[in-house]
Order: sequence, then C-alpha cells, then structure tokens
Amino acid sequence: MKPAPFDYVAPSSIEEACAVLAEAHGGATVLAGGQTLMPLLNLRMSQPFILVDLANIAELKGVTRVDGGIRIGPMTRQCDAIDNKVLAHDLPVLVQALRHVGHHHTRNRGTVGGSIALGEPAAELPAAAVALKATIEVRSVRGTRQVPAAEFYIGPYMTVLEPDELVTGIRFPEWSLGHVTLFCELAQRPGDFALVGLVGALAIDSGKVARAGLAWFAMGPTPMRAKTAEQLLSGQSLAEIDPQAVAESAIADTAPFDDAQASADYRRTVGTRLFARTLREALNVTEAA
Amino acid sequence: MSKHTIELTINGLRHTADVEARVSLSDFLREDAGYTGVHVGCDHGVCGACTVIVDGKAVRSCLMLAVQAHGADITTVEGLAEPGGALHPVQETMAQEYGLQCGFCTPGIVMTMAALTGEGKRPTEEQLIDAMSGHLCRCTGYQGIRRAVRKLVAADTGETVDGGAA
Amino acid sequence: MNAPDRRAGANAGAEPAGRPHAGSGRYIGQRVRRKEDARLLTGRGQFVDDIALPGMLHVAFVRSPIARGRILGIDLDVARDVPGVHAIYTQQDLAHFNVDMLSFYLVSPEVETTPLANGRVAYVGEPVALVIADSRPIAEDAASLVVVDYAEEDPVVTIDDARSGPPVHPGCDDNIAAEMGEQEIDEDLQALLEGAPHLIRHRVVHQRISQSPMETRGVVVSREGAEELTLYITCQSPHLVARWVSLALGLPPGAIRVIAKDVGGGFGLKNHPWKEETAVILAALMFNRPLKWIEDRYENLIAANQAREQEMVLQVALDDDGRLLASHGDYSVNNGAFPQLSECNIAVHMFVWAAYRMPRYGFLTRGWYSNTIGYAAYRGPWAMESLIRETALDVAARRIGIDPIELRRRNLVTLQDQPTTSCMDLPLEDITPAECLEKLLAAFDVAAFRREQAAARKEGRYLGLGIATYIEPTGAAGAITTMTGELAQVRIEPTGKVTATMSTHSQGHGTATTMAQIFADRLGVPYEDVTVFEGDSSRGGFSPGAAGSRQGVIAGGAAIMAADLLAAKFRQLAAHLLDTSVDAIVIDEGMVRVDGAPDKCRPFADIACIAYGEPDRLPPGFEAGLEAQYRYQPPPMTFSSAANACVVEVDADTGFVRILRWISSEDCGNVINPAVVEGQIAGGLAQAIGMVLLEEVRFDARGNPLAATYKDYHLPAIADIPEFEFVHAGTASQSVGGMRGCGEGGAIIGAPTLVNAIADALAPFGEVPVDLPLTPTKLLSLIEGRDLSAKTVDDQHHFIADHPVTVPVSAAAESAPQAPQPAAAPTAEALVDGDWKMVLSTPMGPQEMTGHFETRGQALAGYLSSPEGQMDFTGSVDGANLKFDLKVDKPMKITLKYTLAVTGDKIAGKCKMGIFGSAKVTGQRA
Ligand code: FES
Ligand code: FES
Repeated sequence: MKPAPFDYVAPSSIEEACAVLAEAHGGATVLAGGQTLMPLLNLRMSQPFILVDLANIAELKGVTRVDGGIRIGPMTRQCDAIDNKVLAHDLPVLVQALRHVGHHHTRNRGTVGGSIALGEPAAELPAAAVALKATIEVRSVRGTRQVPAAEFYIGPYMTVLEPDELVTGIRFPEWSLGHVTLFCELAQRPGDFALVGLVGALAIDSGKVARAGLAWFAMGPTPMRAKTAEQLLSGQSLAEIDPQAVAESAIADTAPFDDAQASADYRRTVGTRLFARTLREALNVTEAA
Repeated sequence: MSKHTIELTINGLRHTADVEARVSLSDFLREDAGYTGVHVGCDHGVCGACTVIVDGKAVRSCLMLAVQAHGADITTVEGLAEPGGALHPVQETMAQEYGLQCGFCTPGIVMTMAALTGEGKRPTEEQLIDAMSGHLCRCTGYQGIRRAVRKLVAADTGETVDGGAA
Repeated sequence: MNAPDRRAGANAGAEPAGRPHAGSGRYIGQRVRRKEDARLLTGRGQFVDDIALPGMLHVAFVRSPIARGRILGIDLDVARDVPGVHAIYTQQDLAHFNVDMLSFYLVSPEVETTPLANGRVAYVGEPVALVIADSRPIAEDAASLVVVDYAEEDPVVTIDDARSGPPVHPGCDDNIAAEMGEQEIDEDLQALLEGAPHLIRHRVVHQRISQSPMETRGVVVSREGAEELTLYITCQSPHLVARWVSLALGLPPGAIRVIAKDVGGGFGLKNHPWKEETAVILAALMFNRPLKWIEDRYENLIAANQAREQEMVLQVALDDDGRLLASHGDYSVNNGAFPQLSECNIAVHMFVWAAYRMPRYGFLTRGWYSNTIGYAAYRGPWAMESLIRETALDVAARRIGIDPIELRRRNLVTLQDQPTTSCMDLPLEDITPAECLEKLLAAFDVAAFRREQAAARKEGRYLGLGIATYIEPTGAAGAITTMTGELAQVRIEPTGKVTATMSTHSQGHGTATTMAQIFADRLGVPYEDVTVFEGDSSRGGFSPGAAGSRQGVIAGGAAIMAADLLAAKFRQLAAHLLDTSVDAIVIDEGMVRVDGAPDKCRPFADIACIAYGEPDRLPPGFEAGLEAQYRYQPPPMTFSSAANACVVEVDADTGFVRILRWISSEDCGNVINPAVVEGQIAGGLAQAIGMVLLEEVRFDARGNPLAATYKDYHLPAIADIPEFEFVHAGTASQSVGGMRGCGEGGAIIGAPTLVNAIADALAPFGEVPVDLPLTPTKLLSLIEGRDLSAKTVDDQHHFIADHPVTVPVSAAAESAPQAPQPAAAPTAEALVDGDWKMVLSTPMGPQEMTGHFETRGQALAGYLSSPEGQMDFTGSVDGANLKFDLKVDKPMKITLKYTLAVTGDKIAGKCKMGIFGSAKVTGQRA
C-alpha cells in the first residue's frame, strides 16, 4: 500500500514546530526517524493531514552533560547515540539497550526520541527511560513541562503527550560510575520485538545498593517499572542480594499479555529466570572486578 | 497534498525533482529516477530489499520519504560497479560465493555489505552478520551470503581465507 | 576435454549402458559462475515491476474485510470522482468473459470461481472491485472510497469448523473439496494394527504457510489491437501462463506472449494466474490501455493463495524387532475457499511408506473448504508424508527401545531389494535412502555425539540429534497433461558462439547456467561462448517450468540430446571442409583440429560462417546452418533420495532451539553444478526450518488473518539458519544425463530432521507434540510439565458450539446409492442400456466421459470414452446396479472398479481406483 495523501512541513525551530502542531488541532503527526511511522503510513494505519518533520531542528540533536546528568536531544539518531563517547561512559546500559533496537538499518535512521515518544510496550528505550528515572521534556505553545518517564506511558502506544506537544529532550539523572548495569532481552530473531526484556541499573555506594532502577519491556501495556524489586534491593549489600528472590519480586510488577509470539505465562516464567540469571552474572562480574 | 522540489545526488549524478509529499524514497528512486535495482519486498521496513546508502549509511528506502532525501548523497546498487563494468568487491564476492539465486533480495544485501566494508572499515564478522539479520532471503538459506560475509571480513582485515568456491 | 572432476564424489555414478551421460567434464559437475549474476548483482535484472509501458495505468483492488457474507450493494460513486481514476470494475463488468479458472492440471474448478467476488465473499481479502487510475496511490485512494454493503455470516475457518460448519459454497452438501480412500479401516488392516506388539498412533498438526517469494505477484498487461496480448508476469513458466490464459479466457493462443525474464522466487505460488492476475488481464482487455498491478506484501500475506494447513494421524504397527507390519493414515488439508486445485493430497499416501518395506497401508484423505484464502502448492506439497513418517519412526524407536538409526536400517528399501514395488504399487528401481543414510553416518560420529549429549545433560543442557530419510519423485512427465518433457533448441551462430533457447524457466534456479554448462561441454566450446535464453513464451516450447523438481533432470536431458545432434552435424561439416574423416575431428574449447594434422586447425566461426553463408561448400544433402532441437521425454518418474542429520540444543529455561550442525547426504544423481544443487537444497532446508520454528499464518475466529506484515509473519533470517554440510551420493538415474531432481527435497526432509532433533533433546521430558510451529511457549510447556499456552479464551473453539448448524451428513453420497427395487422391476435393459454423460471426481479434478452400456441378462458390456480415448469393458448387472472393471496404464497400472446405480435418468456411484481409494461418479442420460 501507499500512504494516503498528506502535507509535509519541516520547520527549522522548536517554536515553529509547536506552532504547526497547535494550528493542526490534532491533525498533525510528528516525523522523527520514521522507522515506525513510515510502515504505519505505508499501511494507511496512520493517515495524518500534516507530517511535521523535525529533521531540520538542530537544537533537537545531540548528547550533552548537564548538572551531573545527561540530556539527549530526541532527534539524535540511534546509531549516533550508540557511538557516543559520553553515553558509553556514563550510561552504558542505555547503549546496550540501543544496540537491540530494530536492525542496523533502522538504527541508522531511527531516533532516540522517536522511540521514546512512541511508547511501544515491547521496545527497549521507553523501558530504559523508566528504569533509569529519566525525565521527558515536553513543549507546546502552551509552555514546557517535565514528565517523569514512569508517568509518561499510559498504555500501548499511548503517552501523556497532547496532540500539540513535542518531546524536546530526555534527561537522565546521574548513575554513579560504579553502577551495575542489567540488561536482558529474549526475541525470536535479532531485531524482533522482545518476548521478554528487562533493563536496569544499580548505583553502588560502599558495597551497598544506593539506588535501583528496573523496568521490564514486553511485559505489560507500558514499560513496567519493577518497583517492589527496586525497594527490595535498595540498601542491600551486594553480597546479600538473592537474585532469585529479587527476580520473583520483580515479576510481580508485570502484567504481560498473550499474543502470537508468546503467552503471558511464558513471559512470566522466562522473565523471572532471565532476570535472575542476568542479575547473578552482573553481580559475579562486579565481585570479580 | 504538498509538493516539494528536492535536489539530491544519486550515484554521483545531480537530480532535481518535484515530488509529492507521500512518495517514498524507494518509489522515487525506482519510478522517477529510474533505478529499478532498488527492490521493494515489503514496503514496511522488514525485508531489507530496498536498502540504499544515504550519506554513507545503509538505510531502508521504503522507510524514508523522497522529500526527506533533499540534499542527500545516495548510492543504489546501480552505482556500485565501475563505470567500465568491473564489479565492486562485494558484488564479486557474492558471485563467487553463490550468494544469490533469484536476485530479488540481492541489491539490498549488496548495499549493506558495501556500506559496512571497504575504505579501511574493519567490521567484525559478528557486526556484519548482525547487519545481515535485517535482510530476508527466501531462496538461499543465507549460505552464500554467510560465506561472502566471512570473505569480506577477511579481506578488510587483510587475512586470507581458503575454502572459497572457484 | 575430460578435465578430471576436482571434487571427489560429485559425480561418482556409473554410466547407464548405451545412454548419453552428462558425466563430469570441463564444465559439467563444476562450480562454474552463474550466468544470471552479472545483471542481478548490478540492479539490471528485469522483474515485472521494472516494466513501464507508454500509457500504462495502475490497478488497486477493493478487498473484502469479512470472511463470509453476501454483497448487498457496491457504491462506486464517490470513488469514481477521485481525480485520476479511469474506471472501476466489479464482477458484473467482467462476467461476460466467462472465465474458467483452471487448475495447474487445466481442469475446471469444482466450485464457481470468479476473478472478482460474485455476489458473495468467502474470505477476508477476496477482491471485490478493481480500480484503474493514473498511479497506484490514486487507485488506492479510490479503492478506500468504494463502499460495499455486506450481510455478514459466521465463517468456517479451521478444518474442524469445516467438518461441522455450514457449506462454504452455497449449493454444496458439505465442505469436502476432495476425498479419497476408505471411510472405515478395513477389517484385516484393523486386525493387523490391533494385533501388533507395538502400535504407534502419531498425530501431526501443520500450520498454514505463506510461500512468500521475495517478489510478490504482479502483472503488466498490454493489449495490442484485437489479436495480440502481451503479459509481463512473475510466474514459474511463461509457457504455462500463455496456455492457461488462452484456455481460461478462451483466447487464441497465438495472440498471447508471456514474458518473465527475472522472477523473484515462486515456490508454487506462481504456477499460474489466479483471481487478481486474471481480473487485471480482463480489465486490460476491456479498457484497452496497458495495466500494471503489483501486489504489495500486505496483499500477499492476506490474499495470495497459501499452503500446507493440514493434520494427519498415522497409525504404525511394528513387531518387537521394530519391523513394520501395517499402517493407516488419516489426512485432512484446508483448501480455503477457492483453491487453485481441489486437493486431498493423495501423494501423501503414495509416498508415505514408499521407501520402506511396509506390508500393508490404508488411508482416508480429504480436503476441506473454508472461509480462508485458497490453497496453492508450496515446495514439496506432499511433504507431510516424510514429516509424519520420520517423526513417527522416532517415537516408535523410543517406545520400543531401539536406536532410531537401527529402526530405519531394518525397514528401508535398499538397492539390493530393488526392483520392487511399494505398498502402494509404486515401482522402485534405484532409490538409495539406505545408502544415503550410511554415507551420512560416515560423515557424522553418532557415538561421539551420544557421549557429548549424556555429558551435557548432566549439566542441564539438552542436546538432540535428529535423523530422517526420504525419497522424492522428481522430473515427472507424461502422466499429467501439463507435466511434459522439455525442449532444447541450440545453434552454433555464424560467429561461432552458441545460443540456446530453452523451455525452462528460472526463479532463481540458475537454469541459464546449468544448461550452458551442458552445451559448452557437449559442443566443446568455452562456457563463456554459450548464451541460454528462456523466460519468454515466444521462445522455446511448452513446459511447466519449475514444478516438481524437474528442470535439471528433463531439460538437462534435452540439452544433451540437442547438443549431441548439433555436434554430429558440426563434425560432419568440419570433416568435409577439412577433408578428413569425422573420427579424426577433434574439438576443443571452440577450436576444430584434425588428429595428426596440426596445421589443420580452425576456429568454430570459420566453419559456422560457411555453414550459413556458403552453400556451395557444404556436403551434398547437408542442411545449411548449424541448428538442432530435441524434446526430451524422460522416464515417468526419477527418484531422489536423502538422509539428513541435525544437532540442536534446546534451552530448558526458555524453550529456544539453537541448531548446531546440519548435514545433508543426498543422491541427486549426476550433478551439473554442485553449487546450484546445494543452493536448492539449502533454500529448501531453510524453508523447512521456518516451518518448524517460525512461520505461521493465523486467523482469528472471524477469519481475519493475523499475520499481515513481515513483523508478524516470521521468515527465517540469517541467524536462524546454520551452515549446511553436504554429502553427494551421485547414483546416476535412468534419464539422459543421469540427473535427479533437487528442487524440493530440502523443504521436505528438513522438517522431520529438525523435529526429531528437538524431540531427542527433550526426550527426558516426554514426547514433543508435533504441532507446528514449535514455539518457545510450546516447548517450554513440555519442559515445565504444565500448559503455558495462552489462557485468553480463544472463542474460535466455541464458535461451532455457539452456532449450532444442522448439516445433512453427506455420507449417503459417498456410497453407491442402492436403487429402490420396485415390485415389478423394469428390465435392466430398459433401465441401463444407452449412453450416459458421466463425471468422475478425481484428485486432479473432475473428468468428463461418456459411458455406453449394453446389457444381456446379467452380463454387461460397453465402453467409456473421454478425450483420452475409448476403453471397452465387460461386467455384470443386477437390476439397476452395474459393476465393471477397467484396466488403465496411466498414470500407472491400476484397475478401476466401477459400482454404479441407475435411478431414472440419473446414474451415480463410485469408482475404486486401487491405491488411490474411491472417487465419486455422477451423471445422467446423454
Ligand atoms: S521494502 Fe523496504 S524493507 Fe522491505
Ligand atoms: S536470492 Fe531470492 S530472495 Fe534472496
């Protein structure tokens, strides 16, 4: 199929983009990397009146260190984020998650913000944003607001973004350099949506977990924050962590569904195992280091 | 529907064209620019047959609008071989290793290989295979493609492999 | 000219006496570079979507969003007003063409089949209207504005639904599309099964598969005046398409030219045009402008014919030593609404035990209509036979406690056993599955693997070895009207170069390469000097192209024969011109020499120039030019054999399967190009891996397809496919050149090999239910010992219960109706004598014939006549009931036993066709 007709604009500033969105009264769709939107257009599942391409807005691109944390411009391409030295240093788990997004080719066009704003429940980056306690900066002609990632997602492909709003930045707080990174994903083929996935980090301070951030993907209608497990881990010394118990408490915070790829029961059973395995391995590595 | 004038370079030649907003880059390359070597196997970004090189990177041309290619430098499979006809090393390797049967998926595969190898790039076999996971081939069972990958990696790292078909 | 074969074993076969033999040569048997690659690698192939004709318009279809219902009205007004739209057609507009939607065998469909929906829709995606517009996007814009009003009905989706649901096609008694075999297991067989020391009852459920060639379907139609029609169409044989279109549309064949230079895979889907292509052809005839329709992937996945949805129960009786005693198979296949052929897959039963010493086999086989996309072929359409047999044998081996390899050794037909006939009367002369198995075992150390497996299990790792053997009928010709021989036309041009025109067609098969290898060797010219043309119905002669693993076998034979004719002619001329004897002529790489006279050396071009341009210098009676042609008719069937082994590891935590090793040991006879043969096998194996692990076309309870993109329909990608290792046996076949087919084998043997490996790995947890695909969820359920599958209630299973329908059980129609015996019975003569028009419903479609009966007392005599000829018979008559036998030779020697009954002007009953089971006969007085 070919897309239904639409108009295309490529504003050169955030203000201009916001103005177009405001004027469109819900008839506009934002084009970031297009790697998910284009199939939807080609299948006529998305039929916007106006397509607003953000590619010309320079201020939406790039990775910067800001007050201890990191700010990623939403139009930063996934391939560039993977190669970014700052991210590799400060947020290696995010880079790990990025490597699992789609395929080589889609990462060459796809953007960090595009994936985060879309809210695909089986996608890596929304879960990474939730796990790493990111804040999503949202702009419209009505003003700017900061939304914690955990509150950003409300359902499959549903976020708190209003039709006139635009994601203008993703801020990640600082995770101490000694942090433990956790990432596991099970997918039928490389590049497929995950059957089960978890991303997380543990900030370590004098051998104890100072802060824990954990979120599942493909385990519910949104990225699922494993709050109970985060609390369980907080304050524990590395030596006393029981990976199996943590994984079991983490799985309690999921709401997986049955679909063609896997059943909910499968996701829960395997999710627990994978997380326990990942945590065990990560702790071994940390101990060895 | 809005119309746009785009200027771009395709296989070293400058093009100017008026395109409707909804026209994909793959359809533009095939129908307006005449590069029918760009194959469309799915139109929804999964099969990889439409892969071209845009500004040095392998991308799926069905997942781009033509208007987004304004100012871009694009190489299609028609732009790989020498003007005199000598095959690009990637094409040559694919022929030697029987990497194709019907040839429908082939242009995309060749473009990904070309984008990731050569010019001092030193991809690992794992990286190339990972990139190849974005291509579907219904004919070959990927046997020749895998052999070609191995040979290209060896060529890029200056190693020699034996066992290549005559 | 006989360079030694550099690859040992590639061509080890012995030459059959007195028959030209491909052997190995400078090119034959070698991995030469493919002729096709230069254009395909540089983007210069010519696929149907690459064709653009002046004035060409574009087509899009309006498709049914429901699986079953009546069309109450179609409103085209808004759509017609879209700028750029030229016309919109519905079936009403096309009805006057009276198209006969023929099957591959060129028989008419059992149920009314029209290019566009005719008042009813029977599957989601069925084309309802056709829009012609300036561009494809505009055609789609308009299509989305066509308003169709439907009265929706509850659909019949699965085979189970079909058994009890309302008939898909109004006017049919039930949903049986085709049926053969016996309803009840015969008493003797039943006794054998029940009395056996071991009885295995093995069930296989096979999901629906999308053939998924990477190039979707498509056609460009150009009508040139009233008498010419050119089609560019992606297909498996331009000749077959030309013939099909001519017959289906009632057009004179001479007017039709079909061109398909490059085709992006076929796999059975592109055997002949179906609804959409036919509608576009008709629209072009009406609208008189060139039209293009290129199916997009979404259409391909929801509306192109599909394959394989089937289930089977195989009972196998064995003695304590693992020797086969008897077996019974009960098979069903979903035909969808409009199959390309009403199919009950009799070949499954023909071949299920063909390679094994099985004393006794009985079966029931059926095809079912449903409100889904119609059935079409897919590489190895009968592959269920190998899947169910080989997996059942492994189950049996575990049950009895015998090594699965040993079990096969005890039962396989070996070369020493032949000639023999199978339990289904198939003549076997040179099948080699047992020999392939031994070759395989020489390449794979089973004992070492078993040690590794035992050690791994101690660590909680589950390794498994799967072995399977099979035979495959290839290169069939002569039994079915479209399965013909192949034609080779070859000439040495005045330039000295060789040009050949073949009836073959490649969708990736590389026939232009393999045929060129043969010509180069047999004519003694460099490979580079040979060009092979194909892919155009105006060139070469009829052949069905790629269907039934036949081109290498048959066209290879044709190429050898044609080349030898031409070589003889060339030598005769060369001897004459060089003033020597034919025997003294030595030909080598495009040069002609005379033995012992080194100065007499001429390039081919010198001789060829004279052949064409200087008639005075030719020998007396010599036909000018250097051209030859040969149509090769091979033996009716040539068998290939194979044994495969595969090693997997199943992750007991996730149910994921990793394939660690795969060896294919096959006997494709003499191999023209090992790289091409291995490519065919590898492609088939990859498709088999997709079937076992990944691919599935699913529907919801309303018949909505659930895999509409490649995100949902999972084709195997590079990481899913291991590197295959090959062992070639090379037993020359009886056909010219000694080749055996290799097109489908991988797709057939791959599935049981992999399933057996998984079952072996998971044996500690119990038997793996063979319900494809074997998803991680299903495997983990076995490992965990609890059902992990979706708990969401699938309303599919409740549909029938919720919608009770009373369908008259049609059993009565199956057996010969017994004519009531009136008190004062009229004489048999009055009831029976005369001419009857009758239809025999065979698996290859209905066959019409005229029956002539004459009675004399209890004796009956007469004949049946059909286009194939007339056959006389004698039999008996009892009142209104007739019995007679007919012996036929084609497709094989069988006796047809007719039991008919006359009721007034009607005649009905059945025909027992030996091993093929029974077929319905109906008719009336002529
Ligand atoms: S056509 Fe672009 S990925 Fe398939
Ligand atoms: S060669 Fe046919 S799809 Fe790859």
